[in-house]
Amino acid sequence: MNDVTQDLELTGRLTLIEKMIAEGRRTTTKWGWSAVLWGVAFYVAIAWSSGMFGGAIWGQHYMAWPVTMVATWLLNWGLAARMRRGAKAPMTTVARAIISIWAAMGFSMFALLFPLGLSGRADQQVCVAAVATLLGTANAASGMLLKWKAQIACAVVWWLASAASLFGTAMQSLIAFLVAIFFCQIVFGIYAMICESREQRRQGAIHA
Amino acid sequence: MPELPDLNPVVHGKLRLALLTLLTGVEEAEFTWLREKTGATDGNLGAQLLKLEEAGYVAVEKKFVERKPQSLYRMTDSGRAALSEYVQALRQLLGAAI
Repeated sequence: MNDVTQDLELTGRLTLIEKMIAEGRRTTTKWGWSAVLWGVAFYVAIAWSSGMFGGAIWGQHYMAWPVTMVATWLLNWGLAARMRRGAKAPMTTVARAIISIWAAMGFSMFALLFPLGLSGRADQQVCVAAVATLLGTANAASGMLLKWKAQIACAVVWWLASAASLFGTAMQSLIAFLVAIFFCQIVFGIYAMICESREQRRQGAIHA
Repeated sequence: MPELPDLNPVVHGKLRLALLTLLTGVEEAEFTWLREKTGATDGNLGAQLLKLEEAGYVAVEKKFVERKPQSLYRMTDSGRAALSEYVQALRQLLGAAI
């Protein structure tokens, strides 16, 4: 075997290692649907709480956020459990790290927003800024872990929305939140699903 | 000129290298998952996993789940060390090429 052939063979081994490591990212991109689901849930909660829906139940505006968030969490949990059972996928260390980041973010959001609401100190602009900052943190942490620029860009959008919410008017704060949800949940979620679908098609066999 | 390192032949096999790399990222993995990820045939996969097991690089646990046999593979500490040494040797051999 000459030097060039041997170099190609060895580079092929490195590529193979990288390809197998990239499986960690595939585990995450399988969660694209979850980002879209939460984006839609945020829109429903905003619409409900601002009185866009009519009827006896929908008229209870104070229930909008708690009911929507708990229902979405249950739906997300049920669908994820079903997906994992179907795929028989093992828990990867990267997946465990990312689940930990998002779970911690969820608990932090609950621990902050629930007392804020109960204490009567909730202010729309401050709440939007807090939610956007927490979502920015979780996106940045998992984006850096996966070296995924698109997710880091989402973190930056969330942080910008947070700042805009505090410096602008109540209406500007709402618009910043709606725009950030659109790009960071809906668009990013769909992009992640496309990546997952492409990756599945690209996978080929490895022989001894 | 510094002496170039030898590559561990057990790790160097394409499928065995893929299996070891996959196993570094998970706590344990089922035979079927490894087959799905590598696209290898049952026979080839079984043979390569046996070689890794004989070298002490992976450990296997066989059990029955809902009356179906299940083989769970996990990487051992020596497997992790062997892969790490292999990657270092590979980088040294390729040098400026990467």
